[in-house]
Amino acid sequence: MTPSGGSLCHHCLLPVGVRSLHQTVNGESCVFCCYGCSIAFQVKNGKTEEWEAAWLLIRLGIGAFLSMNIMLFSLLIYGGVFTGADARMLPIIDILLLILATPAVIILGGPFLRETLVEGTRGHLTSSALIVLGVSAAYIYSAVAVIESNAQVYFDTATMVLMLFTLGRYLEAAGRARAARDLEPLLAAERENVVVLQNGIEVVRPMREIEAGMLVRVRPGERIAVDGVIVEGMSRVDEAVITGESRPIEKDIGSPVIAGSMNMEGLLLIRSNGSGTATRWAQICRSVRDALIRRSPIQRLGDQAVTIAVPGVLVLSALTVTYWAQSLPFDRALLMGVAVLVVACPCAVGLAAPLATSLGIGRLARHGCLVRDVGALEALARVRLLAFDKTGTLTLGKARVVAIDTADVSIAEVLALAAGLERHSEHGLGRAVVNAAAERGIGPILARNVRAVPGRGIVGHIDAGTVAAGNLALMRDLSLPVAPGLAKCARRAEASGHSVIYVGWGQRTHAVISLDDTPIPDGRAMIEALRARGLRLAVLTGDLAPAAHRVSAALGIEDVCAGLTPEDKQAALDRRRWSREPVAMVGDGLNDGPVLVEADVGIAVGTATDLARETASVVLPVGGLRLLPWIIDVARAVRGTVRANLLWAFGYNLVALSLAALGMLQPIIAAAVMAGSSVLVVLNSLRLERLPEPAPSQLPERVSSAATARSLGVPIALGAATERG
Amino acid sequence: MTYYLVTFVAGFAGSFHCIGMCGGFACGLGRDPRGYAATMLRHLIYNSGRLTTYCFLGALAGAFGQIVCTRQGTTFTLLGGSVDIADRILAIVAGVLMIMMALQFFGLLQAFHRLTVGFGGSTLAMSLRSLMTARSRGAPLAFGVFNGFLPCPLVYAFAAEAASTGQALPGFLTMASFGLGTFPAMLMMGGVGRILAPSWRRHGVWLAGGCILLLGIITLGRGILPLGALMPHGLLGRHAA
Repeated sequence: MTPSGGSLCHHCLLPVGVRSLHQTVNGESCVFCCYGCSIAFQVKNGKTEEWEAAWLLIRLGIGAFLSMNIMLFSLLIYGGVFTGADARMLPIIDILLLILATPAVIILGGPFLRETLVEGTRGHLTSSALIVLGVSAAYIYSAVAVIESNAQVYFDTATMVLMLFTLGRYLEAAGRARAARDLEPLLAAERENVVVLQNGIEVVRPMREIEAGMLVRVRPGERIAVDGVIVEGMSRVDEAVITGESRPIEKDIGSPVIAGSMNMEGLLLIRSNGSGTATRWAQICRSVRDALIRRSPIQRLGDQAVTIAVPGVLVLSALTVTYWAQSLPFDRALLMGVAVLVVACPCAVGLAAPLATSLGIGRLARHGCLVRDVGALEALARVRLLAFDKTGTLTLGKARVVAIDTADVSIAEVLALAAGLERHSEHGLGRAVVNAAAERGIGPILARNVRAVPGRGIVGHIDAGTVAAGNLALMRDLSLPVAPGLAKCARRAEASGHSVIYVGWGQRTHAVISLDDTPIPDGRAMIEALRARGLRLAVLTGDLAPAAHRVSAALGIEDVCAGLTPEDKQAALDRRRWSREPVAMVGDGLNDGPVLVEADVGIAVGTATDLARETASVVLPVGGLRLLPWIIDVARAVRGTVRANLLWAFGYNLVALSLAALGMLQPIIAAAVMAGSSVLVVLNSLRLERLPEPAPSQLPERVSSAATARSLGVPIALGAATERG
Repeated sequence: MTYYLVTFVAGFAGSFHCIGMCGGFACGLGRDPRGYAATMLRHLIYNSGRLTTYCFLGALAGAFGQIVCTRQGTTFTLLGGSVDIADRILAIVAGVLMIMMALQFFGLLQAFHRLTVGFGGSTLAMSLRSLMTARSRGAPLAFGVFNGFLPCPLVYAFAAEAASTGQALPGFLTMASFGLGTFPAMLMMGGVGRILAPSWRRHGVWLAGGCILLLGIITLGRGILPLGALMPHGLLGRHAA
């Protein structure tokens, strides 16, 4: 048994922590976080032919058989059946009970004893120690009583406590597995196999062997495991995991598909365009796994409480026995001590946080929202101020042409020449010019020897000489003077926050194209929804004030700070921090990286680039900003559930402990109560499954997926460019 | 004694209904290659596992009934005998439950049937299949024990009845006689391994429904009717044991 703090339980997918349990099931080495998970996993997945799974069930069944018989006799004894003339039967029944109880205690108590011993040698005192101590006290006392022919025996207590705890752990683990169902596809992605078509034959290959150009077969109802293009078949797919939006999108031959999306209808053959482990989907899965393995602050608090509680309970139990032994017979006092031990098992406390948080993380991940760190989810629930970066966040980061000022040439001519140059450009502004020409039905005038001038623009040759599109510096370099009227237009456009492209050919600059960014669709509704959740909102941008104010006004945010450097943004964020409440910064994760790191919660939107480099603790899909109110709801619900669980677990323990110390709780009832408390914590956490889905976006239905490819590919480069402009 | 006989008959007849679910298990347990005696032993072990669970549930339900009745202590005197209100309420609840279960056997109250049977039982049953083929002696016992806990309207009905007896011993005996009643059919299923003709099964189901309905009405009567009017405790000789 090795400590494996970095892995997840095979059954419930919670981090196993230091108390891991290694077992071989179906010939595969599995690691479990607790005894309950090991039972539940083997019950669910144990194969008939595997001896081990069956053996576990046989042990439990025989244990149950023995303890039920013991309980049966005990109930009859308590019911007064063996009184009067039948009382002489009692010693024989006691011996029978001893014979039944000994194997039952060994069978059912074995795993608890093993856990206690293993942890004991590592210097930990776990809750299993309480059970072991309580049960052995009841058993040894009763065994001695039988030998000495004393009156009362408590074999029923010993065995039923074990039964109930085993049952409780099983039920708890079974409940936890329901939570894991959400996370399963996310965590299984790395282990997944895919069907590859090789030379016309279908072969099953592991994910990591998938390379660009391979043909992958995807059946209806399966998840598409690779990024690629459909070469055969048609279907509708759900891309919620990547885009955050759950709606069927039609796909046909030639349509690009994204790894992680769900194939809903038809049989598809997809040509992969990259390695299977490099997709965003694979990165999401890795990221979720990492997040689950980290322990949140509240979880650590729970763990510490358990560490302190166990020795405390031992002392309290000893005190209880000592106190009551003075006024009551020893066996009654001992039973009260056992009740204290059994009722104080702090299992529910340890369970309060991890289940709820992994449910929350899984829920968000299914809509493409990544939480890298459990602590971030907690902080997000407490956030009162949300600050937005503008470009690429509140705006689409997609420029569009808003005005063209010309000097004695036609707009069509300007666009034709500019588009002829810019169609060679990867620059976002350039693409906007090409689009503008296309929208107006203007064919580009092709230029020769086109080359990009870094930081300046783009230059080419036409019959009339050099043609250039770029900034003012480029025009100066090429000695293409700008007429005063045109320069004034350009200055006015720049002053109001527009980006400007000068277009010149022949002997001078002939036109100025003004471009502006578009605010995101659904933005206003999103802002209102956030405000309805009691959040203060601000815009902190490096962009020019007029542009920032234009966008903010369109969205309805009053608090705007423009022209900020990244350091200024940080300072502005701190100024807005009223008390010790956490603040969140929403940005694109590239040019505002430092602020995202400094904020309590950094939220990055739509960075399709390498997630591993991200500085944000929450990453939203492209166009996923509209999910923000929903994410806040989920975070708050998770936090509420964790708090309710902790309150319940602690409160329940305290009340039950007091009752037990006062001698008002039978050990068997105490065990039932404790097992029930863990199950209640699980059930309370499972309520999170019923959280509403995010509201669908107001965008028109997408039919083909060409739009998806664009929105995934280009979001950032342009944003940065606009700011420079 | 008559009371336990009716219970036994209900168990016997009801076990034809059980053949659908539990009978499948009994068949699944199959024959022991070591011969007829070994097969018989295997099935006896399985059935004693089941019986233990039933008896345990019965005693537990009886003890529960006892706690409910004695804790209330609202006994008052009526027509010369003492009547416990809690006892009556328990009898009414148990009687109504039994009548509802009985109606299911006649094909009525299907929604209720889904509620009682669809309680996650099938998942449990599926997962327990690994026990059926395991070659250990203990496997049929363990299987029987778990089988006893599978959701089943018959078991619920008699557990309710056991609770209404208000004591551990009669509760235990009620479930024991019901459990013993299911023995013949289940043993036969295992031994003979042949499904009975559907008409027989239907007759059995109706007979079981009839018995449960009768017991339910008696129990309900105990709760509603004035003491000694129709069904005094002694009539069916329930506490004679």
